[in-house]
Parts: sequence; structure tokens; C-alpha cells
Amino acid sequence: MKVARLDGLVRHLILAGFSASIALPLLWVLRVSLTDKLTAYRLPPEIGQIGLHNFVEVLTQYDFTRWFGNSVFVAVLATAISLPAAAMMAYATARYRTGGWPLMMMVLSSQMIPPIVLVLPMFLVFTTLMPVPGIIAITIAHVAINLPFMAWIMISFFDEDTRSLEEAARCDGATRWQAFTRVTIPVAMPGIIAAGLLGFILSWNEFLYALILGNHSSQTLAVGLASLETHAGVNIAPLAAATLLALAPVLILLPFLQKYLIKGLSLGALK
Amino acid sequence: MAHVTTMERENRRFGWLLTAPGLVLLAAVVLFPIVWAGITSFFNYSLIFPGYDDFAGLGNYAKAADDGEFLHSAWITLLFVVAVVGIQFVAGFVVALMLNDARRGKTVYYLILLCPLLINPVVVGLMWRMILHPTLGIVNWLLGTVGIEPVNWLGAPDMAFWTVVLVDIWHQVSFMVVLLLAGLSALPAEPYEAARVDGATPFQRFWHITLPMMKPVIVVTLLIRMIFAIKTYDIIYIMTRGGPGVATDLISYFIYRRAFVSLDLGEACAMAAMLLIVIAGLTAVLWRSMRQVQD
Repeated sequence: MKVARLDGLVRHLILAGFSASIALPLLWVLRVSLTDKLTAYRLPPEIGQIGLHNFVEVLTQYDFTRWFGNSVFVAVLATAISLPAAAMMAYATARYRTGGWPLMMMVLSSQMIPPIVLVLPMFLVFTTLMPVPGIIAITIAHVAINLPFMAWIMISFFDEDTRSLEEAARCDGATRWQAFTRVTIPVAMPGIIAAGLLGFILSWNEFLYALILGNHSSQTLAVGLASLETHAGVNIAPLAAATLLALAPVLILLPFLQKYLIKGLSLGALK
Repeated sequence: MAHVTTMERENRRFGWLLTAPGLVLLAAVVLFPIVWAGITSFFNYSLIFPGYDDFAGLGNYAKAADDGEFLHSAWITLLFVVAVVGIQFVAGFVVALMLNDARRGKTVYYLILLCPLLINPVVVGLMWRMILHPTLGIVNWLLGTVGIEPVNWLGAPDMAFWTVVLVDIWHQVSFMVVLLLAGLSALPAEPYEAARVDGATPFQRFWHITLPMMKPVIVVTLLIRMIFAIKTYDIIYIMTRGGPGVATDLISYFIYRRAFVSLDLGEACAMAAMLLIVIAGLTAVLWRSMRQVQD
């Protein structure tokens, strides 16, 4: 009994230490974002003037809202283009074994390709096609990350669950397309939405394509924040506020995604 | 019999119809760029003299294989991947084992550790630059309060490499925890009960039961993390730009510089092609191990 209690104590010490090392840096950024510019630098830390002024400054005096808008545009459009195609592809692979293993292997490999490999030829193609590549080029590039990822994780959503329902619908005279759209999709909807949200986050967090294929007016949040660092020097209070605002949408999605996160991270290998 | 074949043919046709839009998109945004990069890698193509009239054959590949900076970058990348994946695996496994048996507080710990995984790498880099600033950062001040000299986290070559490793560990260690924990919680209970009856120590149980049963999950987790670690670009761009000197010049960042600073697209494409071959090899191994997990 005594051993068990000691065991539990050590366990929670390790877990608490680990959690603290994950959480403290984030809490420190939160603290910096809430204080005033000068206090942000003072060591030992002082309380200073607590408030939301850094957030107001970021939203009014920087291009933050434009970056945010660009990120939303790119992530939503790239996901909207990819999701239907990915869902149909995943369904065909799961139900009709279309393309067999070569197709599945292709989908898996596509998402493993380093962005630096694809961005070089994309840069050449887009600079030939348009005088200044921009937000459309970034969106198209993001389809290259989104589509294979979403198709891959959705394959397992369609695996077996709905087969008998589809067969019942087919017996009642529904076409294959009707069985897919009216029976399978509604049942698989939570998974499809989760795949879409994970794809949205991939695109939201993407940096390299947005950096190289973008121009000044098409800067996404990641690119904008990276430039803020150089422009604002070490003006850390607004920078902290800006980074937290960039995290907000993703952290809000976290509770909805928790259930699907393992599938997303393990590329469908684990549930 | 004839009816079945018609049905089968219809099925096949329908499957390809559904797959077509995705295939067209993949061909446009993945296959086409790869082929284009492959073609470019055989030409002396620079952004100063763009054009496909100076055929180089395998010249760019030979140049790359002979390029000390490229080989150095490949070496640094290998060190980075081994360090990052190794430390993340050990730390992640310990935490996953602890969490798996924890009765209280599991959800709280779990939610905290999920946070870094969703954070934009650019934000991670900016955040840590702020925290690790040599004179204005909180970490050096804290070290000072216990009498440790300020550390030049990103200024000295050796230190900068380990700082980048540390930041990547902070960002991605939870990936290991989440996946290994998923694997652990799916293990059957019977072997453990049998071992307890036989009087096995906790270490014996771990070594002879947990580890062998977890092997497929471990392999998949390590491979995925390895492939993603090789691609690391963002935190390098934000934190060190490959420096000081070339101390943190990981391969993705090196190819980026070769293309957009040295403007030598042909050679950059040849290097990208070599990188792609390595990734393809690892992906093939991953493919096989994923099938084992599912069986």
C-alpha cells in the first residue's frame, strides 16, 4: 500500500513537471501580452499595467486583420476544394478498392513530400503563368498538403460502418451515387467535418508555400508574424499579443477535434 | 454469373468516377510539380538566366554530391533527426506510460500536452526567441537567480543547434505521447494478469510484454516523426536562418537558400530530388509497418 502511494506520487511529479514545462512558456507569453511595453522587458518581472492594449494595438496599427483574413481565405478555400474530392476518393478506395494499393501508396507518399521539393517547381510555374503569384497560388499549393492528408485519414472512416446501410438502400432501388450521398455521407459527417478541420489547421499553420508563392498583399498570418519580428525588432508585448491571436482559432477547435486527433496525427494508423 | 460481372464492372466504373476529381487535383499539384522539378534538375537553370537550353545531364547531381556545404547540411539534418526523434521518443514513452496508469488528472494532463501540437511553428519559434533572449529573456534571468551564467542560446554554433533541438522537442514531444498512449491503451490485459501471477517485476512486465506488443506502434510513430523532422524548415527560418554560420542549416533551409539566395534552381532541384528519394524510401517502410499495425 505504501509502495503504491509512493508510486503514484512519483508518477504525478513526473506528469506535473512535464505539463508545467509545456504550459509555462505559453503562460509567460500570455503574461507578456497583457502587460505594457516597458514592463514587458523588466526583470525581475513586474506587474505593470495589466490590460488588453497590446491586442488593440495589434488589431489597429498592424496589418494583422489583413493577414488574418488572408489566412482564413486560403485555409477555407483550399479545404473547400480538397474536401469533396478527398471524401469521394477515400470512399471509392474503402468501398470499391479503386486503384488498389498503388493508389493508396500514392496518397500516402503525397503527404510525405517535403514542401521544399514542390515549392521550387511551383514557383517556376506560377511566375510564368502570372506576373505576381499571390493568394491563389498559395491556395492551390495548399491543396497539395490538404487533399492527400484528408483522403488518407477518411479511408478508415468509410471502412465498414455503413456498408449494410448502403446495401439496404441499394435494395430499395437507390443508385450507387444516391447511396453514397444520402446514406453514407450523413452517417460519416462527423468524421468528414473533423477531417476538414484538421485540413484547415494544416493550411492555417503552413509557412513555406505562403512565404515563397506570396507577395506583400497576400501575406498570411504565419508570413506576417515572421515579418513582424524583423520590423518591430524586439517589441515583445504586441508580438506576444499577435501570436496569441494567431493561436486562438486553432485552440478553440481543440475540444471538437480531440476525438479525431489521434487518427489525424498517426495518419489513420491508430484510433 | 453474367449479372455479377455487370455489377462488378459498374462498381469499378463508379469507383473511378469518384476518384477522378481527386486524381486530377493530385496530378496537377503534386505529380506535375515533381516531374517539372525532375526536368529542371537536368538543366543549368538559374533565376538570373532562366531557360531550358543548357542541358546539364547529371551535372547538377554530381555538383551536389561534391558540394561540402550540401553534405554538411545533410549531416546536420541527420544529427538533428536522430537527436530530436530519440529524445522525444524516450521522454514521450515515459510520459505515455505514466499517463496510461494514472487514475486522476488524466484529462487535464492530456489537454495541456495537446496544445503545442496545434501551434503554428512560426509562433513556436517567435515565442522561444522571446523567452530565450540572451539579456531580456526570462530563462536567462531565472538561471541567474540560481547563480548560472547567462547562456547565449542562439548565438554560439553548438548551443544554437541544441537550442533548436530543444524547441522542436517542446513542440513535438506530445506527438509521441499521444500516439504511444493510444497504442498502450489498446493493449490486452490478460498477459499482464498472467505475469502478475508469475510474480514478474514491473520492469520485466515492461520489457517482456509491453515493449514487444508495442513494437508495431512504436515503429509507425518513429517513422512518421522522422519524416516530419527531416522536413523541418519553419523554426530554422524564424530562429536561426541556418546560423550562426551553418550550425543549424537543415536540408530544407539549405535547399531554399540555394534556390532563392544563390538563385541556382537547377542544382536546388537536384538536391530536392535526392531528398525526395530518401523520403520515398522511409515512406515505403512506413507503408509496410502501417499494414502490420492494422493486422
